[in-house]
Amino acid sequence: MSDKPTIWRALDRKAMAVAEFTLRQQRKRLSTWVVMGVGFLAMAVLTMFYIDSMMRDYDAIDNDGDSSDFDMDGYPNGQEVLYGTDILDPDSHPGLLNPSIPPDDPSKWINEDDFDIESLASGSYGYDDDGDCRTEEKTASQQDTNSNNIPCDVRITEPSYYNGFSTAILSDRGVDEDPDDDAYAKESIHRAFVLALGKFGFVFLIGIFVPLFMATGLVRDEMTSGTMHYMLSKPIARSEVFLYRILGFLGLAWPYMTGMVVLAALVTGFFGPSDGFFRFSDLGVWMAVLLASLLAVLVYAMLFCLLGVLWKHGIILALPFAAWELGMILTTLGAPDAAILRFSVIGWAMNIVDAGAALAWTDTSLLIELGLWGGGSNNAEPLTGSLALQIFASDSGLGLTPLVTIVVSICVMLFQAATCWFVGGALFKSKEID
Amino acid sequence: MMPDPTQQGKAETKEWKPDVDMPVVYFQGVSKSYGRIHALSNITLGLSGGVTGILGMNGAGKSTMFKLIMGKLKPSAGEVRLFGTDPWKNPAPYVKVGFVPEHEKMHDWMTALDFVSTFARLHGMTRDHAEKEAIRVLDFVGLSDVVNKQIGQFSKGMRQRTKIAHALVNDPELIILDEPLQGCDPLARTTVMNVIRELGKMGRTVLVSSHILSEIERITEQIIILHQGKLVALGNLHAIRERLDEIPHTIRIVGDDARSLAKDILDHPAVFGLSFPSNTELLIQTYHFGSLHSELPKLIVKNGHRVTLIDNPDDDLESLLGHLTGGGA
Amino acid sequence: MDVAWGSDSGDELELTDSSAQTAKSGEIFEQKYTSWNGTLNPRWMRNWAILRHHLLGIFKKGHRPWSMPTRIFLLIAFIGALSDAAFTLLSGLLGSAEFHALFGVSRDNLYGHILGFFPRNVLFYPLVAALLVGSVISEDRQHGTSALYFSRPVSRFDYIGMKYLSVALIQSLVILFTYMLYFMAEILAFGRGWSWMVDVFPMFLAGFIAGIILIITYTSIGLALSSVSQGKFFPGIGLVAILFGSKTLAAIVKNLFEREILYLLSPYDCVAHVGQAIIGTQQTYDQYPWTYSLVALVAMNAVALYILASRVSSMEVTRE
Repeated sequence: MSDKPTIWRALDRKAMAVAEFTLRQQRKRLSTWVVMGVGFLAMAVLTMFYIDSMMRDYDAIDNDGDSSDFDMDGYPNGQEVLYGTDILDPDSHPGLLNPSIPPDDPSKWINEDDFDIESLASGSYGYDDDGDCRTEEKTASQQDTNSNNIPCDVRITEPSYYNGFSTAILSDRGVDEDPDDDAYAKESIHRAFVLALGKFGFVFLIGIFVPLFMATGLVRDEMTSGTMHYMLSKPIARSEVFLYRILGFLGLAWPYMTGMVVLAALVTGFFGPSDGFFRFSDLGVWMAVLLASLLAVLVYAMLFCLLGVLWKHGIILALPFAAWELGMILTTLGAPDAAILRFSVIGWAMNIVDAGAALAWTDTSLLIELGLWGGGSNNAEPLTGSLALQIFASDSGLGLTPLVTIVVSICVMLFQAATCWFVGGALFKSKEID
Repeated sequence: MMPDPTQQGKAETKEWKPDVDMPVVYFQGVSKSYGRIHALSNITLGLSGGVTGILGMNGAGKSTMFKLIMGKLKPSAGEVRLFGTDPWKNPAPYVKVGFVPEHEKMHDWMTALDFVSTFARLHGMTRDHAEKEAIRVLDFVGLSDVVNKQIGQFSKGMRQRTKIAHALVNDPELIILDEPLQGCDPLARTTVMNVIRELGKMGRTVLVSSHILSEIERITEQIIILHQGKLVALGNLHAIRERLDEIPHTIRIVGDDARSLAKDILDHPAVFGLSFPSNTELLIQTYHFGSLHSELPKLIVKNGHRVTLIDNPDDDLESLLGHLTGGGA
Repeated sequence: MDVAWGSDSGDELELTDSSAQTAKSGEIFEQKYTSWNGTLNPRWMRNWAILRHHLLGIFKKGHRPWSMPTRIFLLIAFIGALSDAAFTLLSGLLGSAEFHALFGVSRDNLYGHILGFFPRNVLFYPLVAALLVGSVISEDRQHGTSALYFSRPVSRFDYIGMKYLSVALIQSLVILFTYMLYFMAEILAFGRGWSWMVDVFPMFLAGFIAGIILIITYTSIGLALSSVSQGKFFPGIGLVAILFGSKTLAAIVKNLFEREILYLLSPYDCVAHVGQAIIGTQQTYDQYPWTYSLVALVAMNAVALYILASRVSSMEVTRE
């Protein structure tokens, strides 16, 4: 009290008073806890499916079929190819060579040649881990079936898509043809889950429904019940009331959101595939998810509160808007550069998440392409997890570098929030209150 | 009990100086209509100092008038001035105003202390200062022993007093109370009335609305009567009555011996009729209400009559309004 | 003077005096009870009055005041739901077989009219249900108008039953009535004879039953939410959150982990699965039989109705 009263200090005190009041009001409501509890449960259910999928072993598939033994001589086909014996002749196998080679366990010829491709840029990649291409038994043309004059490599040309499968990856026969299915599935399902939980769980479901439940009535409920009179008969501008009520709501919603994201980051960090005990490489994505969901909550809270002020039946405007946002988040998955996304909130939030993912995982699109390619055998199915990752991962649609995308999207979302506050404050100001 | 007005810690949102030449509340040709319904029509008045009662039936426009003063509504025509400033879209004058709304709904989950101190902080007080002030005003309205109880557990009178405390916390110069006595039991009513009278004695401008004349009479003599959105009368209650002298009034006296009292009163020139509904009851008809009323106690005391009740059956708002608007009571 | 006009309280005297006159101590009023011999209207008639009050409120004033936006949205949803009927008529006029294959009555299109996800079960039916249940009980509780019902010879279960029925009937106006109009449009536009009708009727009936299941499910969940809350916004948002939230969660799990089990928690998907089975269209859920979905639906409705019944029977009739 000894300090000199200034305008700023007074504003600060009012802000604290209204925000604290709102926070306590929300805390006293049962529905707040029900909504938050249900949100937590929903995310927990999702996470349980995730943990289950991380704990189980994905069947190691023999993608190139060389673990089978066509001629039943005890030597898997792969081993016979390696030593140049006839895979169809039981009297021709490496055991007859000099020196005699003992037969391999067939499981050695499953997942024996993992991907060694570093980038999707055009060029020559790959290494024949199991040696069934490099073997001296093969002629030069047999070692260069993709005819780029480099023996035993994988050639990548500019990606083009046909039926969702990439035709741009062409390998020499026997190179990188039998990847580690379990490792691939876990890595890609892990990434797909982080993106799905971040985008649909946090930014969309919680980001929309928590403000929808709690912020739509922030000003409107008080206006209807008449309790707004107490606040409005004090020397405080109405747009300040609007803002500080939102601040109070954020005082509850932001820590909740942060807690959930941190929890999710911890769980996925410990259960996700990694060399150490914790998967630190995802933290960048989680930061982006956190940022996007906090901003989304801010913008939606402002918007729904504004709709509540605008009209007694603001919910009727808010529900179709939520449906619109659902359509927009689905659009970001397939067409992240669609211009219509600029007219949504979620489109910008998705830009932040996608840009964060692009920064933290530089090889996601490579991972998807390789999974769809699956080793290049004739009947190769896409590897488990590649389709899921393809659905949930997308490029940020602005065509800018990730950092710039994040900065631009943050600015746009802050601008959206500010506009909603401005309009909401102005509407509230000119509202007659009975 | 009220605080030192030069206290610290009260910052105003902006540099705002009330216009000293203007009355505290000033209406110039103010009308307010909702569609085709005229809630207030062409009101002009200025108010400063003392307790003023606003009387009117339900729907006469009392609350509308208060909401215009508080900037909750925008006048359809005319000008409203609060300390010389237009209150619509301008919360600056509320630094000096306390408002008790008519709504019964309160934040039931708060304690009285929280309620008062939270809203006190909207005046720019610090938390500690607001709490100190809240305790002071809650003490002033006689709730010092329940400050930490939840408002949801309060009786109606306690809730009204909490609302008044909330309005007083900034030591306002103008206090507006919309139907503060509604729903109070007689005990709470007396307490609330005492509080209002106390405020009047402190030199504040107090506006109290009610639809019950006798309530207002016990608080103040300065009244405004609204009827169907029109200003019917303004000024001292007695003066208004004096104006209505030609209209017959009835005074009812209950005492031990009505007939002997009647003998003494019969001589008074203002009396034109007497009747006895029962042995202990006397009804006096008079054309000159004021003069009879001022002499009646003297007459009774001089002749040593025992009287238990002096009453004015016509003296309700309905009959007064009836006279004022020209119809029969 | 002071007693009559002063500002000190003087009325205490009056109080004691008047009370002394009226009530002498120890007097007991004579009390007589007479039984009521009148006849009450039959129960269905009283219930019909409640139902009528709610239904007619959609169309005209003087009955239950459904809010204007709700009524406007009902109209929009009604017109939106009729789009396939309009296209059928159009294809009849144009005589284009391709057009008819796209929009005319067929197994898939009958399914689609009731259970198609977009736009019908995103924009129309759930939002209609949400807007209807949003106020139907909670507003009565908030305004204290439920006391108006309970002070009359109407049992609580009749009251809640009629509310349920009226909400369901208004929804069936948007879902089932348009379904019938769609069927009529086909008959009209292509001059379908009895043989066609007999052929298609089982399909039509199956779609109708699926529609009834959809309406019952949405109404049960919505009214249960409406009975637990006092807020104006909560039940509507809650219903939409349950429908969309469970659907989104299940879709994420399906796409990520190739498990469909969570669809059993999503009301829309359960109805869709049962509908696909009884109408006989291509099943889109293939990890478990449709009877699982039916059991899940029965369980959902049972829980919702239990909540509704227990809340209504213990509801305090006050203005809250």
